[in-house]
Amino acid sequence: MAEVAASSRQRSKIAPYLMVLPALVYLGVFFVVPFFTLARTSLSETSGSVFLPTLTFAWDFGNYTQAFSEYREPILRSFGYAFVATVLCLLMAFPLAYVIAFKAGRYKNLILGLVILPFFVTFLIRTLAWKTILADEGWVVSALGTVGLLPEEGRLLSTSWAVIGGLTYNWIIFMILPLYVSLEKIDPRLLEASKDLYSSATRSFRKVILPLAMPGVLAGSMLVFIPSVGDFINADYLGSTQTTMIGNVIQKQFLVVKDYPAAAALSLVLMLIILGGVLLYTRALGTEDLV
Amino acid sequence: MSREIDPRLLARLTAGRTTRRRFLGGSAAAAAGLTLGSSLLAACGSDSDTSTTATDAGGPASGTLRISNWPLYMADGFVAGFQTASGITVDYKEDFNDNEQWFAKVKEPLSRKQDIGADLAVPTTFMAVRLHQLGWLNNINHDAVPNIKNLRTDLLEASVDPGREFSAPYMSGLVGIAYNRAATGRDLTTIDDMWDPAFKGRVSMFSDAQDGLGMIMLSQGNSPENPTTESVQQAIDLVREQKDRGQIRRFTGNDYADDLAAGNVAVAQAYSGDIVQLQADNPDLQFVVPETGATTFVDTMVIPYTTQNQKAAKAWIDYVYDRANYAKLVSFVQYIPVLSDMTEELEKIDPESANNPLINPPQSVLDKAKGWAALTDEQTQEYNTAYAAVTGG
Repeated sequence: MAEVAASSRQRSKIAPYLMVLPALVYLGVFFVVPFFTLARTSLSETSGSVFLPTLTFAWDFGNYTQAFSEYREPILRSFGYAFVATVLCLLMAFPLAYVIAFKAGRYKNLILGLVILPFFVTFLIRTLAWKTILADEGWVVSALGTVGLLPEEGRLLSTSWAVIGGLTYNWIIFMILPLYVSLEKIDPRLLEASKDLYSSATRSFRKVILPLAMPGVLAGSMLVFIPSVGDFINADYLGSTQTTMIGNVIQKQFLVVKDYPAAAALSLVLMLIILGGVLLYTRALGTEDLV
Repeated sequence: MSREIDPRLLARLTAGRTTRRRFLGGSAAAAAGLTLGSSLLAACGSDSDTSTTATDAGGPASGTLRISNWPLYMADGFVAGFQTASGITVDYKEDFNDNEQWFAKVKEPLSRKQDIGADLAVPTTFMAVRLHQLGWLNNINHDAVPNIKNLRTDLLEASVDPGREFSAPYMSGLVGIAYNRAATGRDLTTIDDMWDPAFKGRVSMFSDAQDGLGMIMLSQGNSPENPTTESVQQAIDLVREQKDRGQIRRFTGNDYADDLAAGNVAVAQAYSGDIVQLQADNPDLQFVVPETGATTFVDTMVIPYTTQNQKAAKAWIDYVYDRANYAKLVSFVQYIPVLSDMTEELEKIDPESANNPLINPPQSVLDKAKGWAALTDEQTQEYNTAYAAVTGG
């Protein structure tokens, strides 16, 4: 009996570790190892045949300075686009999530289903569909042209706005869902209480709803911002020669130029900037301070 | 993430009619995924050492021939016809989608001299040259390929492979200018016409250095047949100037055809075979070889040094080089024949193609078409890097 108890105690001690083991192995194999390979590549020198290069580790930080100096413009542009797309997502997703959480009643699941439905279609097809919608000779352009709302280029496709629009559209679901989850958790009695205490609607939004929704805002903005910065599909299909993002540069360095160290350095630079930004952002919006 | 969608599937879904070149559209997205996986793929590659490589000695060709070709690059019934005529079993695969992608997949096994699952493949000339320079191709002994005499002389004597020792041309095409007559309102004849302010933001160019820069170099009095750092840079400078002016809307792969068909671009660098197909839907589309000349590309049949049936591969090349057989191929894939004097055979089975100057171009046009010289790896790298600074930065 004692043996059984001891072994089950032992089991229960190991159990948590066993449960995280698959995730740890997965992270180790598919994140930690590639990360170090990438870091190593970024500091390497190439030699030998151009198409079968030998990479020698050499602490070559030149790749980094070059990445910064040569590609400052696409780096800045990527962060600009991703920032605008995140703000647009937030502005559009918040009212929608609010309505789903508080006002939709029995239509809640239907609306949620409709939000998710487009994402059953693959990313590329959805992006390419925008090419058709925004085409120069399409009805959207001619309608906007009649009311004089076209950007200066006189078109929509292949402009910064098309790229930002594509990013917003493709990632907005990652803003809606976390916001909805945060809002849905809010106890309606808190809102009743604020009303009972003569709070105006704006004020209870500012003092009750917004602070409680902050975890959703934070999670949503990161889920939208991070993939947007590194995206290259939207810039590729909806953009022009003037809208190159850093993702396009990295892709080209890897696949066309085959300068693996430069591409790896650019990838790491991007990762570090995002990491820094995210840390600052979480600190600023640190949910504990606001609740 | 869903961005790992198969580009071939995508191309099928998005393009109603698909030619060989257009089929490659959207390869950027997929190639990204593929490169990451390529080392893994290579590692998993076949480990059967090909010590059993069939030799050239004695007897007629027999056994199985494994061919790796581009999608939609074959005529119905052609393979069956070869099997009947030769008694060779053909394992025909359409798994060659992109030169660089394919290279990424086969370079590891080839560098170790391991089988790549194909006895004959159809890379574009520059890739064939690269494989040859790495020492990975068998020579094609012409004794077993008598029909090689039917090859166009310009191709037989091409500077990239004089005498065609390691690469046998399969199809060729022109890289020229396509324009939508309804959108431009006039005909285009020169490179300068591409820079007409009336077409601002409605011009697309190829992001590939050779396809994109060749005709520009010709218009500047230089030639891709003997490129130098200066002449390539001069062409790149012009492209940069036009890009900065906002003249060039996009640098494209094969997806230019969608923009052209949809009317988003009025003028595009284009492949001749695509335009033949697009004209069927939109008669306003025109293809022109600029007055100063254009470049031509040639896809070639090569035999990797890991082939298991060298003899059957040569029998195949010989079969392809028979004019009557080849006419069936041309009629189906709509590119420019690599054999000379095809008019007669084409007229027998497909008069429309025979009379189409984009499929059966007059000699005067062919004379204006120049091919890129065989570049060293360093040159390729240098030109790609310099052009990428404009197309992707």
